[in-house]
Amino acid sequence: MLLAVLFTNTEGNILVERFQGVPTEERLHWRSFLVKLGADNLRRAKNEELFVASHKSVYIVYTMLGDVSIYVVGKDEYDELTLSEVIYVITSSVKDACGKPPTERLFLDKYGKICLCLDEVVWKGLLENTDKSRIRRLTRLKPPTDV
Amino acid sequence: MMARPYVLKKDDDHDDEAEYSPFLGMEKGTVLQEARVFNDPQLDARRCAQVITKLLYLLNQGETFTKVEATEVFFAVTKLFQSKDTTLRRMVYLMIKELSPSPDEVIIVTSSLMKDMNSKIDMYRANAIRVLSKITDGTLLTQIERYLKQAIVDKNPVVASAALVSGIHLLQTNPEIVKRWSNEVQEGVQSRAALVQFHALALLHQLRQNDRLAVSKLVTSLTKGSVQSPLAQCLLIRYTSQVIHESSMNSQTGERPFFDYLESCLQHKAELVIFEAARAITELSSVTSQELSPAITVLQLFLSSSKPILRFAAVRTLNKVAITHPLSVTNCNIDMESLISDQNRSIATLAITTLLKTGNESSVDRMMKQITNFMSDIADEFKIVVVEAIRSLCLKFPLKYRSLMNFLSNILREEGGFEYKKAIVDSIVILIRDIPDAKESGLFHLCEFIEDCEFTYLSTQILHFIGNEGPKTTDPSKYIRYIYNRVILENATVRASAVSTLAKFGAMVDSLKPRILVLLRRCLFDIDDEEASDIPFDIYSVPKEIKPQPLAEKKVPGRKFTGLGGPPSAPVSAVAYEKLLSLIPEFSSFGKLFKSSRPVELSEAETEYAVNVVKHIYDGHVVFQYNCTNTISEQLLENVTVFVDASEAEDFSEVASKPLRSLPYDSPGQTFVAFEKPYGLPATGRFSNLLKFFVKEVDPATVEAEEEGVEDEYQLEDLEIVPADYMLKVGVSNFKNAWESMGPDNERVDEYGLGARESLAEAVCAVIDILGMQPCEGTEVVPSNSRSHACLLSGIFISNVKVLVRLSFGIDESKQVAMKLAVRSKDPNISERIHEIVAEA
Repeated sequence: MLLAVLFTNTEGNILVERFQGVPTEERLHWRSFLVKLGADNLRRAKNEELFVASHKSVYIVYTMLGDVSIYVVGKDEYDELTLSEVIYVITSSVKDACGKPPTERLFLDKYGKICLCLDEVVWKGLLENTDKSRIRRLTRLKPPTDV
Repeated sequence: MMARPYVLKKDDDHDDEAEYSPFLGMEKGTVLQEARVFNDPQLDARRCAQVITKLLYLLNQGETFTKVEATEVFFAVTKLFQSKDTTLRRMVYLMIKELSPSPDEVIIVTSSLMKDMNSKIDMYRANAIRVLSKITDGTLLTQIERYLKQAIVDKNPVVASAALVSGIHLLQTNPEIVKRWSNEVQEGVQSRAALVQFHALALLHQLRQNDRLAVSKLVTSLTKGSVQSPLAQCLLIRYTSQVIHESSMNSQTGERPFFDYLESCLQHKAELVIFEAARAITELSSVTSQELSPAITVLQLFLSSSKPILRFAAVRTLNKVAITHPLSVTNCNIDMESLISDQNRSIATLAITTLLKTGNESSVDRMMKQITNFMSDIADEFKIVVVEAIRSLCLKFPLKYRSLMNFLSNILREEGGFEYKKAIVDSIVILIRDIPDAKESGLFHLCEFIEDCEFTYLSTQILHFIGNEGPKTTDPSKYIRYIYNRVILENATVRASAVSTLAKFGAMVDSLKPRILVLLRRCLFDIDDEEASDIPFDIYSVPKEIKPQPLAEKKVPGRKFTGLGGPPSAPVSAVAYEKLLSLIPEFSSFGKLFKSSRPVELSEAETEYAVNVVKHIYDGHVVFQYNCTNTISEQLLENVTVFVDASEAEDFSEVASKPLRSLPYDSPGQTFVAFEKPYGLPATGRFSNLLKFFVKEVDPATVEAEEEGVEDEYQLEDLEIVPADYMLKVGVSNFKNAWESMGPDNERVDEYGLGARESLAEAVCAVIDILGMQPCEGTEVVPSNSRSHACLLSGIFISNVKVLVRLSFGIDESKQVAMKLAVRSKDPNISERIHEIVAEA
């Protein structure tokens, strides 16, 4: 299951988060943990360079996209390779929605669209759609062209 | 981290204008006011979409809506179904899911969503399905079931995927309904759309996972056909592994079905699939080197990939293989050595530990040189992993103990936290125990370490260990200097431990006894009573033959090793209490003191008379020691007693008491009350306490008390005797050994429902507290996100009966906790009693 998807800015403020199967009292711990992970490792990271970590049987893949840090956390069938696929879909969709790797301002300007993209990619811990063109159309309620 | 007002800083690198967040200064109240535009008869779709965006942002920032607010927003959002604007409609679907309406609110939006579910517009159908599945309950689900079934086989893959994924989620709550969709889902598996196939396969497996034959048939048909999506391929590989595992348990020929399929996946174009297949092969039970070979070849290629994910995945898998098939992994050693300098420390640590498992004796020295440079770059948690791997390597190549022990000693001198240093000390101790030749050098390294050790716990543990092992060496006298230095230089706890160690040397080595007596006499002048009180005990009461430590288990080869084990058997305070009580004639016939509790406060902080109580447990008696302090300088208390009302403790009867003759200001004293109880039984009860005394006024000028006193009393808190009071927390070094040697004859097993709890960790903690037993092997720690946990406890129950407990916990989504309790002891009544304690709690 995909346990969490988080977007933060460079200072560690959460912009968007999705948790699934994580009790409320643990979410605070996860937020702090992921932000610290990013603070330790993403400072000089290249755009879309992937990082991986694991903690017991939970895997974390994270990256930098423009001014935004993205974290995906998964367990069981969502191991590090599957998570790398998931994060690739997310980064493609966000770039597509914003037109380029976003600054913070651009990300916030496109906030609604990004929430819709995320809703098409991941739903309640499961991966749904993986193609950015399809995702773009679905957020506008247009049928996909690859039927 | 959440709900901080979010502001973009002015950045000089951006354009000249200051940039501000579009959500700057946004407040919940304002946005809720803005949401009233949803009620306008002429809807402004763009404006409504903007307001929904703001609401989403608030929710993501941790803002919560009260029930009333959430209901109002939800009702307002439902009005937006009137709009035909597609962007707004899509936002409405998202918002409804975010708000998660309650069952009585869902009814408001059901008809709109059902209409969308039948819409000619495919995307409306897909989204309506997803929303309905999220918010529905069982009754509504039966109404929409046929639409969902139709949607699974819809020609539009988005609709089909929406229905299938909904099915996966609904299977958790309404399995009997989803199971009826089997045929449609089977059709979905044959779909040419990759994602539909992926989702259908996942759902079909979940529907059939309890039917081995069905899963086997599914795998048989799909491994022959073509599965498009790499994600679906990965699922298929996992299900195939499951089938292989189950068939290997029954098979007699030893042939593995579907192994060819796994091998063929190693040639797939997607790295995801290649890795999944390689990992599946390495995890096959009783896998041979020949079977492993192609999988290890591809993993070796991944080691030099430019993608850290692939390197990590490969080295993690090879690390596991190296445990059981180190020779198969040796070909990868050169690639792994280059990973030692990988930027990702997880990859580097895994590479090192794999090399430590696969290296041969001749490469040990070279590896140690590489690792020495590496250790300073990594965090303590990784260092501990490396230390444990080095320990295993040393046990594998005992002739190399010198260089490995030197390495451990060197890193022990470097900076590091407590857990890291403890791991190194534990490793040295285990090597000393298992490699006789390493004993002298190991003890020497430990002595050097305690010369400069910042952790009292480690110093005392090492001193205790040296006390056990040092006297058995060829020249025990060389350790005396190190031990005696601790008496001079360290804090009271370490000094006390050092004194005990000296005494052990004196008791076991006749030639050293006279000189040690001289050193110990010097210790009598120590200003800390703790240490000085040790001396008579150590010199006069330690016999020539040292009895073995209680619960010290024999080491069994191949078992998990532990380090120094528990603390010394007789804590200082217990000895002091025993001595104190033995001096009181009224209690001298009570026998051996079983346990003394920690002091329990019976009065509030900053009160006139501060009282705490220590509960002393004997086999047939209980003595309450009330420690009293008078905090009023103008008073002198005399004839201080505690009147104890035992009406709620029927098994107890008061037999003796010892009043405190005088209690001046700020000079603590004790008064005692003793009760008789049924011999050897863990009787419980509640006692109310009333402090009674004569109070005399003290003249502050002359500090003299008046002749006449006035009788007075002071109500104290109640105290309880609970079952945990009859349990001594004594750990075991090897629980499995102890459990098996106890035997199942007196085992009692039962299951309990603990009801809804805050978390699994809280439930585990509560049960440990009720039983009052010692958690073993770190099993009191519950990993986060765990749905189940096993906990091992040990202790000694009243009448000196050793008890071992195995607890298994499980928690479901509604936080209901179930627990299985297995108890072993030498006495079946005690095993029953432990169950009664839990049942009555």
